[in-house]
Formats: sequence, structure tokens, C-alpha cells
Amino acid sequence: MSVMLQAENLHHRVTTSEGQLTLLNDISLQLQAGQSLAITGASGSGKSTLLGLLAGLDRPSDGRIWLAGEEITAMDEEQRAALRARCVGFVFQTFQLLPGLTARENVMLPSELRGERNAGRRAQEFLERVGLGHRLHHYPRQLSGGEQQRVAIARAFCSIADNDVSSSNGILFADEPTGSLDAHNGEKVIDLLFNLNAETGTTLVLVTHEQRLAARCGAHLRMDAGEITAGDQPGSLAEVSA
Amino acid sequence: MLPLKLLSRDWRGGELALIATALILAVSSVTAIAHFSDRLTRAMHIQSQSFLAAERVLKSSREVRAEWLHKADELGLRQARTVTFASMLAAGDEFQFASVKAVSDGYPLVGHLEMRQTVDGESRVVQQGPQPGHVWLEARLLPLMQLDIGDQLQLGDRSFTVSGIIDHEPDRGANLFSMGARLMMHSDDLAATNILQPGSRVDYRYLFAGDDKALENYVKWLRPQLTLHEHITDLEEGQPRVARTLDRAESFLFLAASLAVLLASVAVGLAARRYGLRHANYVAVMKSLGAGKNKILGIYIGQMTALAFIATAVGLAIGSLIQAQAVNLLAGFFPVTPPPSGLRPLLVGLATGLACVIGFALPPLFRLAQTDPMQTLRQDWSNPDKREWFGLIPGPLSMLLLIWWLSGSMAITLALLTGLGLLVAGAAAINRLLVRGRLAALGGSWRIALGSLQRRAGFNTLLIAAFGTGLLAMLAMFYARTALIDEWKMQLPENAPNHFLVNIAPYELDGVKQKIAGKNLEGTEFYPMVRGRLIAVNGTPVTERDEKDGAIRRELNLSWTDTLPADNKIVAGDWWNENLKEGVSVEVEVAARLGLSLGDVLRFSIGGLETEATVTSLRTLDWNSMRPNFFMLFAPGSLDSFPATYIQSFYLPPADKLFVNELVREFPSVSIIELDKILENIRDTIGQVAIAVESVLALMLVAGVLVLIAGVRASIAERLQEAAVIRTLGGRRQLLVRSLMIEFGLLGIAAGLLAAFGTEATLAVLTQRVFDMPFHFHPGLWLLGPLVGALLVGTAGTLACRSAVSQPPLKVLRELA
Repeated sequence: MSVMLQAENLHHRVTTSEGQLTLLNDISLQLQAGQSLAITGASGSGKSTLLGLLAGLDRPSDGRIWLAGEEITAMDEEQRAALRARCVGFVFQTFQLLPGLTARENVMLPSELRGERNAGRRAQEFLERVGLGHRLHHYPRQLSGGEQQRVAIARAFCSIADNDVSSSNGILFADEPTGSLDAHNGEKVIDLLFNLNAETGTTLVLVTHEQRLAARCGAHLRMDAGEITAGDQPGSLAEVSA
Repeated sequence: MLPLKLLSRDWRGGELALIATALILAVSSVTAIAHFSDRLTRAMHIQSQSFLAAERVLKSSREVRAEWLHKADELGLRQARTVTFASMLAAGDEFQFASVKAVSDGYPLVGHLEMRQTVDGESRVVQQGPQPGHVWLEARLLPLMQLDIGDQLQLGDRSFTVSGIIDHEPDRGANLFSMGARLMMHSDDLAATNILQPGSRVDYRYLFAGDDKALENYVKWLRPQLTLHEHITDLEEGQPRVARTLDRAESFLFLAASLAVLLASVAVGLAARRYGLRHANYVAVMKSLGAGKNKILGIYIGQMTALAFIATAVGLAIGSLIQAQAVNLLAGFFPVTPPPSGLRPLLVGLATGLACVIGFALPPLFRLAQTDPMQTLRQDWSNPDKREWFGLIPGPLSMLLLIWWLSGSMAITLALLTGLGLLVAGAAAINRLLVRGRLAALGGSWRIALGSLQRRAGFNTLLIAAFGTGLLAMLAMFYARTALIDEWKMQLPENAPNHFLVNIAPYELDGVKQKIAGKNLEGTEFYPMVRGRLIAVNGTPVTERDEKDGAIRRELNLSWTDTLPADNKIVAGDWWNENLKEGVSVEVEVAARLGLSLGDVLRFSIGGLETEATVTSLRTLDWNSMRPNFFMLFAPGSLDSFPATYIQSFYLPPADKLFVNELVREFPSVSIIELDKILENIRDTIGQVAIAVESVLALMLVAGVLVLIAGVRASIAERLQEAAVIRTLGGRRQLLVRSLMIEFGLLGIAAGLLAAFGTEATLAVLTQRVFDMPFHFHPGLWLLGPLVGALLVGTAGTLACRSAVSQPPLKVLRELA
């Protein structure tokens, strides 16, 4: 099994009006393809920042990250974006669906950004798989919170799935995917996420407050004040295994 | 194709609609104003050139060399000729002195004649004068000479058939002081009359029209060959009053177009800024989905280009339709049908669209492409970009380049740039005062309103500057239009004297006074007048250089009076009083031209005799007053030893026109100069210009309101959200409505104050530098500005946010999510 994600001695600092603030301090981890990892911690512990760095949304102050075998810390923004377009999917706490687009158009967007021709068909297939085949032409404001998150999941899988929607070499990052949902809808979304993860072989990294959700992941890292405080090898390279 | 796909999707989402609407309105209002101004300017020029009946006129007291006319032919110019002189007409036992005008084929080259073929018939427009053998007469000559249409009339050795009555003659004002009623004949008959002999006093006019370049070349070729007896003239020289009116109107229309450009661009800028802010999360999401900065830029620039293309095309079409409709609606008011405009208005509209997009719509998109994708995780959509002010530079810069292109004047462009800078600085200062004020202590709604203003302090500076620009443009145009139209009305008041009586002999004076008084006509006093030439100043003969001054070259009308005439003002020295009973008062401009000052001794030659007078005062006078005006006014008694006649002017209502015949019959030696037709022509033109100014003002108001709407909409989303939260927390509807009214009202007052200051400054420059008029302070403006600002911005803001108070808060929050 190949290494899908690896981080080495990550440090991240920002400058604020009150001086320099350390958000992440010496984080290292490694994740194999097809595995799932939960990152938990209190608010402000740095878990969302870590997620963003791992996904290549930002660059760390120090340290190196490899994603799908490529060192993203050596890439410029355009190259990181191209890599994300190829193999990264996102699910956000507040769904982040574009309000002017229908459910189908939202799911089509990643394929369209890659210039694929069959974007509409793929989007429809994914929406059907998340149980929203009858809501293709509804706008986000016409959908419930649970439905919106299911559209977001369909979009995330659509961005990383190969042409054959049943397999993927991608990685899916989820930031508090059930944070805006009630228990019932949260449960449905989690089931969906893990089922698709299992079906397609996607690697899954999710940030959550919920122990119940973290428990379903193959590996679990706990963070506090920008450091890993619990995990397989806290404070150093975390060899996460399923 | 992705940008186009996204464009259509975004359009449904309503995000692009606002920016497209602003762009369409920007292009359409500017195109409409540019079209309208262009057509009106062309119409005004045609109308005004009809004052000359041509585009250029060569005046001479004798026939000009044939080669000059051949040259005009060579250059492809159209030509006509008029010959005007005074002569006696005879019909049976009736004799009458008349002003005869012989016109060639082709006359008038510009404008038209209006004539009737029967006394009671309808006046009709004709493009040529009488045929050989026929004459047309001014209406009052018929009863005066007991003539009817079809009768014969003798002029010199030739008999003519009276075949028409002249109602309108475009260049009647060309020879302002031509005396007697008009007779018009064909110039081919002139020789047969045998009237014109060597030494006859004749006014020859050679009329030219054609291509501007050819006219310019002709004048350039001809001018060096002219002698003192010939003079070539255009409207500027021929009719300075009309030319000045046109100049001011054109300046006004240009300024209106420039301000419309400015207003429209502010509206686009505000809409684009809002679009940029609202799309930050779109971009963050797209970036997290793998779209790079270049891809994002490609998508948005592609979208904006497509939008700009569509909106500009729609704007050009709407602008053209609006002006066509406006011209149709106002058609009845124009003496001349405005000719179609050229390509320039479309180019102006196109350039406006481009400048708005490049200067205002694209910078927010470039900033948008910088959006940090981490914002999707942070859930923070505030704009941390400290370079927002930097992004404001291309907009004003592109506008100034556009205005520079439109005006061709760096001075006006720099004045606008300075004005804009001051406006933004003023907005920042007022905003600072506003947010630091202690108004929150007033309680509930005030606290909410002030809190809202404080939270958006930075954006409010921009908003106040935008509202201020809108209000400034509206107020400045309103006041400029009022000043212009008042000035024009003052130039020619309704009852301005329209007839002059000259050569009244002293023995006729009482009789004429009684006649005028008996008819209850409004007239000036009767001024004595002797004719004389200025021959020396302080013992030095006037030089050839001085003689080039028209006032000195010819004989002057010298008068005296003990009372300073109305409209005259002493600017140096003293008017006659107990201690000052002799000397001469000189008009200030002629004094400046001749280098005269107080104490100079002037020597005059009057009828072969000479007299001296010391300059004791300098006067200004109003040449527009249509009253007798004199360069030289002597102290009473100074010229008693010289034979004098009297002069007076009075207003004769059109219905009493035949009173002139009574005067002519009763006082045959008195000359009557009739200016009523000329004044009517000038009034027509001024009226037309006034309509143009009024119409453009209305379009400006639309552009101003557009800015207000765009400004309110640019800041509405956050306000809606806050209002919904306050309602959710139990805030009453009235509380919210009041706080919204207070918030927008305060913004409106701040913008209004700023606009009042800016308008006063603009008017000071406009009136003195552009319109060449005196500047008056406008105290009412300082009340009107804040009041209009509070009303317009307060109402627009409260109405725009009404959904926040009328809809369930949950719905508002959900729609904003």
C-alpha cells in the first residue's frame, strides 16, 4: 500500500497585531492510501489549520508535506491547485455550495474546472448515489441542511473519482462534516461518507469534535495548542495504520 | 466556454444582474446624453448659423473681386449674395422709405424664409427669395402704401409685382440697425432699377456654406487679401450674443456628460465591489476544488468581458432609443429638426463601458483571484486585504482619461481629479465625526444605527463619497442650469425695448413723447445725441493703431445727461455733482482699449468744430439692455452749442405693430429701427438651448439616483443580516425601521453636506471660468444639500432593507446564508 499523505516537522506561525502566534508546532504524520484519519481537539487547537495545510490550501511556515507522492510544499499555488483538482475532495462544515447553482451544477463544477466533457452525467450519477436523484435542479436554499451536505459529499467524490465512479486514487478532506447537522442527519451523512470511502477506496481525513465519528476512522490524532497530544506516536511522525 | 456557462448560472443567481444593470445604465445614460448633446449642438449650430443665413459671410461696402468667388467655387463651396440698401418706394401717390434687400438664387444657404402669399394666408417655409420681377414686403408696408398682393410697385426705374409678405428672414439681425421696413427682390433685377450708383451706401454680403475644411481653407486664403472695406465673419463675430449662449450651453452639456460618466462609473464601481465581496466564498470554494489563480482570473475576466459586451451593446441601444424618444417628444419645441448624430456618441458610450469595466469592474476581480482558500475553513469572509484603497486607483484614473478625451482639456480634468480627492478626504473627515459623535446616547434606534455606522466605518467613507458625488452632480447641474437660464432670460427680458427711434429733431421731441405716452408704451428716456469723432488724447492725435478700434474709426454718438442711466455703473471717478459739472464719462472697456484714464483730455471733432473734455469717470454699461448706450456721456450743457437730435427705445407689443406706421406718417423724418424680428429669432434659439439644458438635467437626475441605488445595494446584505438577527432577538419592527432611517439619513446628511460644499466650489469655477458669469454664494444650498441627501438616501436605504423587517427573520437569514 502506497503512502498517500505525509507531513514532516510542520510549523505554522502567523503575525497578528499582538505579535507572532504559533498555530502548529512540529507536526509529523503519515497516512496510507485508502485509510481514514480523524483529527480531534478543542476549538482553536489548530486542527482546521492542519487540514488546510495537508490539503495544500496554504503553505506551512516550516516543514514538508507530500500528497499523492508529490511534495506540495515545493510547489507554487498554481501547481498545488492543479494537484487538488486531480486528487483532492473537500467537505465543509457549512457545505459551501454556490447558491446561484443547482445541486447538479454544484456537483458538476469540479469536473468543469478540469475541462471534462461528461461532467453532467457524472454529477447526476453521484447525486443518485447520495440519494438526491430527484433534487438535481434544486438550488441550495431549497434543500435541507442534510441534503445540502449530501450534495457537498457528491461534489467532493466527483472531484476525486476517476471516470469509473466506483474507484478513486484521491483523498477527501472533511472539516466538521456533521457540525451543522442534527443527530439524525449527521448519522446519515457519516454513513454515506464511510460507505463511499469504502466503495471507492478513497483516503479520508476528517476534522471533528465528535468521538463517535472519530471512532469510525482507522486512525485518530488528538490536538491541543497546535501540537499532537495523542495518537500512535504523538509529537513525532505519526505512523497511522488502519 | 466555462466562463459563459458560469455567466448564465451567475445571472440566474442575481449576482451579475446588479453589475450588468449598473453597466447598462452607465452606458445608456452616457450614450443618451452624448447623442442628445451632439444632435442638439448640431441643431443649435444650424439654427444659429441661420442668423447669418450661411456658415461664413464676406461683408463689403462694394462688390468684391470676381476671383475671390471663383476660388470659393473651386473649393466646392455653395454661394449666395445679398445686397442691402435704403431706397424710396413708390406706389401710386404713396412714397415710402424702405430697407431693400436683393437676394440671389440659393439664398438663404442656411435656415429658411417664411412668407405668405395672401394677407390672411398661412405662413409657409420657403428656401428661396422672390423670382425676378417680383418683390416681397414686410407686412406693415402694405397698409402704409395702400398696397395689396398682386399690385405694382416702383423701385427706381423698374416696376415690380408684389407677390408675398415676409414673415421671417433668418439674417434679419445681420444688419442690426437697418432702417425701414423690408422689401426683398431678386438680385438679377438690381441693374434694371438703376438705383445703385458709385458712392451709394450699400451693404454687400457674400454667403458661403459647405465642408468645414474647405471653409477653413477658403478663409485662410482670403483673409490676407482683405482690405479695410471687407470683412469675413462667422457666428462668433456676427452674432456674439448667440455665440456666447451656444458656448455656455455646450459647456453645460459637456459637463453634464462628464458628470454622467463619473456617476455611472461610481455606480458600476459600487456594484462590482459588492460582486467581488459576495464572490469571495465562490472563489475560495473553487480554489479548494483545484482551480488555480489563473483559472479563476480566466473565468472571471471571461465572464466580465462577455457581460461587458452584452451590457454595452444593450446600453448603446437603450441610450440611442432614449435620445430618439426624447427628441421626438421635444420635436415641437425645436425650430430646427435636430439632425442625426454621428458616430461619436456611440464611441463615447463604448468607451464608457470599457472604462467602467477596466477601471471599476476588473480591479475587484483581480483582488478576488487573491482570495485565500483557507477562508472556506475559517468561515471568515471579512476582507483582510489592506490594498483595497489601491484597487480604487484604476477607476478614477480611467474616468479621468475618459473625461480628458471627451473634453480635450487637461485643466478641467485636473480640476475634476482635485475635486474627487477633496471629496474623498471630506467624506473621511465627516465619517470620522459621525462615528465619534455622541448620538448613541439618544437611545435605542440611535444606538443600533450608530453601531452599524461604526462597524462599517471604512466602507462608509466610500459610500459617503459616492452619495456625495451623486448629490453634487445633481445639485451642481440644477444650480448651473438655473444660473444659465436666469442669465439668458435676463439678457432678453420679455419686455426688452424692441424699437429704436433716432433722428428726432428738437422740434419733434414733444410730439413724439406725447405719441409714445398716448399709447402707454414702456420706453427709455429721450437722450440728446450729436455725432463726432475722437481726434486726440492729451493733445496727441489718435494713431492709426487706435483707429482700428471700431469705436474710434467711425463717428461716435455723443450724449449728455444729468442722471446716470439705468444699468450704468461708475467704476472710477465721480458722476456729475455739485462740485463736478463738466467733463466726459467714458465706457470702461473702450477706455481700456484706448489706454484712457481719469484726467485725460479728449479732443472731439463735431461737424467741423472741435471741443475738449476731461475724463472724469469710467462707467460699465449693459449692452444687452436694448437701451440707448453711449461710449461717451458729457456733463449737461457741454455740447449745447452743437445741433443735436434725440434717440429713444421702447417696447412695442407685436399686436400693436401698425403703430410704427402711425409714427412714420406723423414724423416722417424720424427713423425707426425695428428689432422685434431679430429679438424673436434670438429668443427662439435661447429657448431651444434652455430646453436642451433642462432635458439633460433630467437625465443627470436619473444617473444620480442610480448611484444612490447602487450605493444602498452595495451595503445592504450585511444590514439585512443584522436586522434579521435583531428581530430574532426580539427587536421590534419599528425600532429597526427607525434605526435604518437614522443610519441612512445620517449618511445622506453627511453626503449632502459634502455635496453642498462641492457644489459651491464647482459653481464658483463653472460660473466664473466656464460660463463667464459672476459667482453668487448660495445659502439655500447648504440647507437643500443635507435635506435632499437625508430624504433620498434615507428613503432609498430604508426601502431597500424593507424585506429585513417585512419578511420572517428565518427566511432572510436562510437566503443570505
